[in-house]
Amino acid sequence: MRRFVWLWLAISSLVGAQCALSETRPQYGGTLHVSLHAAPGSLDPASATDSFELRNLTSLLFETMVETDDAGRLRPGLSSSWQSGSNQRRWQFRLRRGIKFHDGTLLTAEGAAAALRAANPAWRVLSEADQVIIELDAPNATFPAELALRRHAIVKRNSDGSLAGTGPFHISDWQPGKKLSLAAEESYWRGRPFVDAIEIELGKNTHDQQLAFELGRAQLIDVPAEQVHRDAMAGYHAISSQPIELLALVFTREAQSPEEKALREALALSIERSSIRNVLLQGTGQPTASILPNWMNGYGFVFPTDANLSAARHAREQVRATPAWTISYDAGDGLSRLIAERVTLNARDAELNLQPTSNSSADVRLARIPLTSDARSALVEVARAADLPMPKIASDSADDLYTAESAMLSSRRLIPLFHLPVNYACAATVKACQVSSSGAWNLQNVWLGPPKP
Amino acid sequence: MSFRRKLLLLFALTVAVSVAAVAWLVSAMTRRAFQLTNDQRTAALVTQFQRQFAQQGDEIARRVELIAGSEPISRMAAAVERSPGDLGGYFDMTRSLAEGYRLDFLEFVDSKGTIISSAQWPAKFGYPESAFANFSAWANQPAFLKHEELQDSAALGLFAVRTARVGEHPLYVIGGRRLDKSFLSALDLPADIRALLYQNRGDHFSPEWVIDPTANSTIVRLPEKLAPLIDAVRQENREMSVVVHWTGNKADDELFHAFPLRGADKDRAVLAILLVANSRRGWVELERRIRDSAMLVGGGGILLAVILGSWAAARVTRPVEQLAMAAQDVAGGNWNARVEVSGHDEVAQLADSFNRMTAELLTQKERLVQAERVAAWRELARRLAHELKNPLFPLQLTVENLLRARQSGPQQFEEIFNESSTTLLAEISNLKTIVSRFSEFSKMPQPQMESVQINDLVRGVAQLFQAQFEAPGRPAIQCKLELANGIEPIAADPQLLHRALSNLVLNAMDAMPQGGALTLRTLRRYDKVAIEIADTGSGLTREECERIFTPYYTSKQHGTGLGLAIVQSVVSDHGGTISVSSEPGRGTTFVIELLMGKEKLQTIAAKDSPAKVSASGGLG
Repeated sequence: MRRFVWLWLAISSLVGAQCALSETRPQYGGTLHVSLHAAPGSLDPASATDSFELRNLTSLLFETMVETDDAGRLRPGLSSSWQSGSNQRRWQFRLRRGIKFHDGTLLTAEGAAAALRAANPAWRVLSEADQVIIELDAPNATFPAELALRRHAIVKRNSDGSLAGTGPFHISDWQPGKKLSLAAEESYWRGRPFVDAIEIELGKNTHDQQLAFELGRAQLIDVPAEQVHRDAMAGYHAISSQPIELLALVFTREAQSPEEKALREALALSIERSSIRNVLLQGTGQPTASILPNWMNGYGFVFPTDANLSAARHAREQVRATPAWTISYDAGDGLSRLIAERVTLNARDAELNLQPTSNSSADVRLARIPLTSDARSALVEVARAADLPMPKIASDSADDLYTAESAMLSSRRLIPLFHLPVNYACAATVKACQVSSSGAWNLQNVWLGPPKP
Repeated sequence: MSFRRKLLLLFALTVAVSVAAVAWLVSAMTRRAFQLTNDQRTAALVTQFQRQFAQQGDEIARRVELIAGSEPISRMAAAVERSPGDLGGYFDMTRSLAEGYRLDFLEFVDSKGTIISSAQWPAKFGYPESAFANFSAWANQPAFLKHEELQDSAALGLFAVRTARVGEHPLYVIGGRRLDKSFLSALDLPADIRALLYQNRGDHFSPEWVIDPTANSTIVRLPEKLAPLIDAVRQENREMSVVVHWTGNKADDELFHAFPLRGADKDRAVLAILLVANSRRGWVELERRIRDSAMLVGGGGILLAVILGSWAAARVTRPVEQLAMAAQDVAGGNWNARVEVSGHDEVAQLADSFNRMTAELLTQKERLVQAERVAAWRELARRLAHELKNPLFPLQLTVENLLRARQSGPQQFEEIFNESSTTLLAEISNLKTIVSRFSEFSKMPQPQMESVQINDLVRGVAQLFQAQFEAPGRPAIQCKLELANGIEPIAADPQLLHRALSNLVLNAMDAMPQGGALTLRTLRRYDKVAIEIADTGSGLTREECERIFTPYYTSKQHGTGLGLAIVQSVVSDHGGTISVSSEPGRGTTFVIELLMGKEKLQTIAAKDSPAKVSASGGLG
């Protein structure tokens, strides 16, 4: 009897160990079902719209010559190495060999050069053997970081209008704004993804997403910032990036006078970021008065975020006449609408006349600006998104970044409010599901396992 | 205007006035009835509105009560009690509850009056609810009217406040529903009645505050036209009514009754104005129909009145007309004129009386004629006897002298015989003269009508006697002619008329043996021509005047009495009349009136050549 017990224990231990091994070992196959709120009408990386959803979707299809890691460091992408001349105006990128587009054609240096020329006609792009040479009008020491941006992805544009990339998945079905079906690229140069296919439902509201998630029809959903806390309370496995999305007020034009600048200062001082974070954002995100998040630049705390109503009123009183401003927001974004209305209320406390509207031609807009993990690129992207003058950043040092950022903020064209993380909820069956600090997902590395018993 | 036309006009006027009076009466009664109906309907609608208002208020209070007693609110109240500063998780709780309980407004307010969650203005969390000074006083009160400030506007609603209490700190639940188009549309309104609501905000009327569930009507109704009524109610704070003319068509008019709706606060301010609009289309169209019907009936009535009036007037006036014609005939000398007598009414009696009267007149005339004829014969016999007696008496004496002379000597007989023969012949001559005069009177010729200028004729007679007027040995007579101008020619026999005038002139001369003035005058009297012969002689007595035209009557010592009879005969043969007026000692005036006789002139003109007419026109 005692031997039998020991034998039973031994067999049970072996079975348990086998099970444990099979759970941690990646498995190929299966279809990952994703439900997203965003409803992009185009998958072209060169499209003007920028969002983390679009970035992540296009990252499954297209790749860039250079990539950035979570710390914002550059790493090789389609190019294995790069170098520049002494004047930092001529850059040479050596292309990896043997990489094929989804249509089976080989990625050549000329093909990459043609894609870059289409992405940025201002560049003079040449190809020599396996090298892509880019000649700039002005020296740019951080030029490779620009090549890491999504809009500079290598895209092969076919005559029928279809796009071909070199990413881990290729398109099997595309219904703009509704559905995207991806199939694993068997000959992906970094190795075949674990899942065979990804079915992505687009344009779903939060309620539908949560319902699909709970019913198992979706294994990965994006979670709005205000829902993170509740989803966590509901037992969802939420994964979040660093606060990498800038929520800010952007004036459509430069201040025309010192008085208008003072009014914008009054508006910035009147906003109760803490109340908005505690209530509307449900504790998610970081109030900010700087463009870059503190985790990125290390000096974000220098910019005060607390509301100062007396100072706001004082600034307001310096101006005789108060213009009637309108503030616009994305009509499909409930959080933006609430924040815009709250900002309107705060502004009225400072005796400012602000009226929310969904009309795009407003004086101020509440904008979500996706940042990159590279601080310099992030400032450039913000300047581009807010239509600000391009910042002059001498180096990656904190001093130079602070100087550039302060210059961007001094015009009061931009009033930062929050840095928000990118959030997803993953089902337990989705293994190795992660999101980088820059908000990128790694669906080429996830695999589908059995649900936990 | 004839009697028949007067009767017709009277009938038509009577019918028209009657129809107009009836139409006015019906219209006035209809207007009155409509006003009463409208007032009743308006009162009923207002009562209904108040009832639904109260029902809505009770329902809202019930729902708010349910929310306040629900488990989530209890948990929230407990959380408020436990950690009053950490209520961020409840900020959007009102939205789902408001949807679930079908409320337009829902707010959770803590014991300090701070908004925890607001369905109508979610971003207002953390702000104080300033509409209530003392929440506990409003809790458990019936629903009340209140303006609710929203993000970009304001709304009027029915609100109720209830309390959710777990510990010491109460949690207030404020819920309400919007008084909007759906609220007004839910009212069970009769046809032609609309209910509108004006949210009383600001100092002046603003069209944007008018809630009109029928704004999509085909009739363009500019809310600005309600401004005077709204402003008046706002100022006077009482019910008022006015007719609003939306378009040029009166049928589109509406009678508006405005009722102020007051809030529940101390000053009872007017928060809204209920506008009940009664369409006047029904009344206006009915009034038009009445007017059209009245015009149709009136027109038909007038036509019928004309037809029936013609018939009735003909029946009434025919005997009168016959009477008038008969009277004209009698006046024209037709004494045999008779009127047909039908019926037994007053007109028939009048006709019968007329017939009897004419018959009596005719009888009397015949008697008179008979009497006159007898009198004439007597007069004639008397005159004959008188005229014949004068020569007969000498004849008798002469014959008796001759018989006695046979007994005397021959010489004496011869002388007596000669004298007697002379006498006998003279008297026989007198008898012949008398006989010839009578014979001449009896042989008066019928007049031969011609176109005669009376003035010329009179002028000719005057010239004929001019020498005798101024004859030596007798006192002069002054002859004056007063002839009227423009007297048209008449149809007459110039010789007979000349003779008649001459007889009258001779009579006038005989009447003025001491001289005097003779005036020959012509006058135009309507359709007659008058010729006056006036003297200043001795004049006639009244009896003489009455008998002067009787044949053989004379006032003169040696007259035959046939002169004026001849004159009268001539005038009568011309269809005219002769009259005399006189006063003893002042003279006599004879007046001859002759008809113009245009028809006769036309006949003469047709028969005779113009030359003859022209030649016979002048006698001189």
